[in-house]
Amino acid sequence: MTSLLTVSNLVKKFGGLTATNDVSFTVEKGDSLALIGPNGAGKTTIFSQIMGEVRQTSGTIHLAGRDIGGMSTAARIRHGISRTYQVPRPFSDMTVLENIRVGLMPDNLTQMVFGRVDHDREEALALSVGLAPQDLHRSPSELSMGDLRKLEMARTMATNPNVMLLDEVFAGLTVGEIAQISELIQSMRREGMTFLIVSHDLKALEPLVDRAIAINQGQKIAEGSFSEVMDNEAVVASYLGG
Amino acid sequence: MNIRWYHLALWTAFIVGMFFLPQLVSKGTLRTIIFANYLAIFAISWDVLSGRTGYVSFGHPFLIGLGAYTTAILTKRFDVPVEISIPAAVLVTMVGGSLLFLPALRVRGSYFALVTLAFMELMYQLVQVIRPDLTGGTRGMSGIQTLTRGAVNGYYLSFGLIASLGFGMWLLMKTRLGTALSAIGMNEEAVRGSGLNTTKLKLAAFMLSAFVAGLGGAFYVHYLGSIAPRALFDINFVFTIIVAAILGGASTIIGPIFGAFFLTFLLEYLRPYLPGAERYFIYGGIALVLYMFEPKGLHHVLQMALSAIKGKSRS
Ligand SMILES: Nc1ncnc2c1ncn2[C@@H]1O[C@H](COP(=O)(O)OP(=O)(O)O)[C@@H](O)[C@H]1O
Ligand SMILES: [Mg+2]
Repeated sequence: MTSLLTVSNLVKKFGGLTATNDVSFTVEKGDSLALIGPNGAGKTTIFSQIMGEVRQTSGTIHLAGRDIGGMSTAARIRHGISRTYQVPRPFSDMTVLENIRVGLMPDNLTQMVFGRVDHDREEALALSVGLAPQDLHRSPSELSMGDLRKLEMARTMATNPNVMLLDEVFAGLTVGEIAQISELIQSMRREGMTFLIVSHDLKALEPLVDRAIAINQGQKIAEGSFSEVMDNEAVVASYLGG
Repeated sequence: MNIRWYHLALWTAFIVGMFFLPQLVSKGTLRTIIFANYLAIFAISWDVLSGRTGYVSFGHPFLIGLGAYTTAILTKRFDVPVEISIPAAVLVTMVGGSLLFLPALRVRGSYFALVTLAFMELMYQLVQVIRPDLTGGTRGMSGIQTLTRGAVNGYYLSFGLIASLGFGMWLLMKTRLGTALSAIGMNEEAVRGSGLNTTKLKLAAFMLSAFVAGLGGAFYVHYLGSIAPRALFDINFVFTIIVAAILGGASTIIGPIFGAFFLTFLLEYLRPYLPGAERYFIYGGIALVLYMFEPKGLHHVLQMALSAIKGKSRS
């Protein structure tokens, strides 16, 4: 059986800097994998390559056995993978529902023009991530950081992914908001969603994942259960030196 | 689609008002309004592309000029009937629009704006150098067939165009296509991250913009009966279009129509006092002030005034 997501020998060079240095890992269907490492380790760059926003220098990316490493971002999303961003960047002059509408749109001009807007689904998605009914017609500038991250989750879920990549999901959140997002991820895991999660909040991350890999200076330095990876000497050193 | 009754009421009021206008105003004013109508068409064309997607065109006269020159040359030099030359002009403009689109694959922001400016300059040079026997060279062309006689008919033709193009574009921009184009202007990467092919969407915006510019340019040249390249490929003309679009309120369709009328009349009333190009500084200044304090444009000011009145009457 093939893994849902397989990254093999991924290398990304930005000029003289090797941001990703021969990284390989797999994520099985229904699995949740943590991607940890100090600032600048190259976590976001790995996400961007998986999504095709940054093209790898070499290496391959397979989704459900299909080589997606050369596809456009839109095509990858159609094949069932989607990400959130470290810094939520919603469509600022739109309401919450309109933001989700963009995620729900079919990539087809005729359908965009003549198809109907599914208001019920927009609303259901917004409520499912824990946004309040009174927020649905607000503009993103009126939302808290926690709500912005929820909106980011909703817009990502709207593309109907099988795998979600979450970048710094807890950054800038209050304790209460961390609990809400954690609960959301847990409930999606119970429904079979596959996750690859980056977070600096290791305590909040631990209960959400089955396994972890650690990255430092673009290289994978450890892999295993969360506690194994956290106890790894190289990992401890990378955080201290990081 | 998010269409409210008062949207349709506004459109109806606009169309009915415009329909009876010739009975109320002088021939001279009517000619000013004809210019406002064409300016509104060009501003809508600019707005559909630049106001929405954020790919700011400083070269719109390139598109308008393609439409105008194509039909002018076909009718005057080759005796092609306008029924054929105008659709041909629109097609040629759309081909030009896809050329303008190519740099948008690589650059955005001010770089893109500069490239479009270069397109306009290039075309200005080309019409003077290449086959001046066809284009009329530096002097342009005159004696081009006109479609109507007199201000009233010219007015109704321009009004028919702005009403149909304006309403058509407004309806189209109310669909998810309009939402997606606006989203590109706000955060193109997130549109891609929502699974949409932004190249395709941008191409659609360029094609729509070129369609409107080509049609407007073609009908305008058949109204004027002449082309003056120096006035057409002029940065002041570019600014007039852009200021009309953002003054009225970008991304609204009705905004650019407001803006075009406001600007045309302002320009007209300033003419006796400031006969030269200084006028452009005046409205440039007004636009700047408005843009700084009310970036959403006149349209938004009116909307706020309206809701203020509603609020008052409720309390
Ligand atoms: N587009 C880019 N051009 C040049 N360098 C980049 C680019 N994106 C990221 N980098 C560099 O790659 C390294 C890894 O960055 P990033 O993936 O954002 O790290 P992390 O998400 O782990 O904090 C950093 O040194 C960063 O400066
Ligand atoms: Mg990062």
